[in-house]
Amino acid sequence: MAKYILRKAEPKDVSDILRLIKELAKYEEMEDQVILTEKELLEDGFGDHPFYHCIVAEVPKEPQSIEGYTVVGFAMYYFTYDPWIGKLLYLEDFYVMKEYRGYGIGSEIFKKLSHTAVKTRCSGMHFIVAEWNTPSIEFYKRRGASDLSSQEGWRLFEIDKEFLVKMSKE
Amino acid sequence: MNFTIRHAKSCDCEHIMRLIMELAVYENMSEQVKITSKELERDGFSNHSFFKCLVAEVPEEHQTKEGHTIVGYCLYFYTYSTWEGRVIYMEDLYVMPKFRGNGIGKAMMCRIAQIGRQSECARLQFNVLNWNKPSIEFYKSHGALDLTEKEGWHAMRFEVAAMEKLAQMTVATCATTTT
Repeated sequence: MAKYILRKAEPKDVSDILRLIKELAKYEEMEDQVILTEKELLEDGFGDHPFYHCIVAEVPKEPQSIEGYTVVGFAMYYFTYDPWIGKLLYLEDFYVMKEYRGYGIGSEIFKKLSHTAVKTRCSGMHFIVAEWNTPSIEFYKRRGASDLSSQEGWRLFEIDKEFLVKMSKE
Repeated sequence: MNFTIRHAKSCDCEHIMRLIMELAVYENMSEQVKITSKELERDGFSNHSFFKCLVAEVPEEHQTKEGHTIVGYCLYFYTYSTWEGRVIYMEDLYVMPKFRGNGIGKAMMCRIAQIGRQSECARLQFNVLNWNKPSIEFYKSHGALDLTEKEGWHAMRFEVAAMEKLAQMTVATCATTTT
């Protein structure tokens, strides 16, 4: 395969980022849950107060994907805080288009994320993964990840908008 | 019992640290607490803060026997969902045992919900230990869903040693340039 580059996402990338978000959601069988828009991605990632950071993997125009895309992978992350150990890098999404897998793009993105985490003095890199997603779990465990849900019993909880609105009025 | 919920100030860090330790002891994980109140101050109350915090305070006549009036805290920050956008994440919610049953925990959570809605957050997320039945029941009674049970999500972690190893890995690729 020809060259690829990894770079920081720019405002012009939001349409590709949303496309890849939807592809990943489809793989996770949750495509209909993506209601985020390009406008929100733009405002939330490239405004005065960014809520996330993003790396994209781009191939040159010639070996572009079947539909003509050159942005073929991405990773979205942000910084969180653990009151026991301090700053963490939280990996929200990490995805490479199927036709571009097996060339080390995912590994290179991961290396860059780890480098960012170490450089910014993070005490860990956290993320969630669906328990049925065996290929991803193996990818992460091969690289030294531990499963906190299995090991320590942590369960992820969520209160959605309907109840949030109700509570905010109490 | 009267109490107030307010945003924490940098001078509250020693008290927040005290309560962080109490919560860690309750979770049987106190040996995992490495942070100091100085680091908490640097990370939460400087130009670029990594978290925000609410504290619950009682009037002097209800202070603890050690003389403390700060009896609870809620540490939170913003995260992002690629499906729905902005999320408010509640990292710690704790009220000293002696002050429970007065609505302090609920009041802090409702305040978080208000803050979240003001910031246009689509949801509130947090993690709970599977044996912590009182907390699980408290959260479920306010509409919380257990996504680990419902959708199979597992929390994963790379610690520092694994991250440093990853950062130095040589990846055999055709050709790469990184910016």
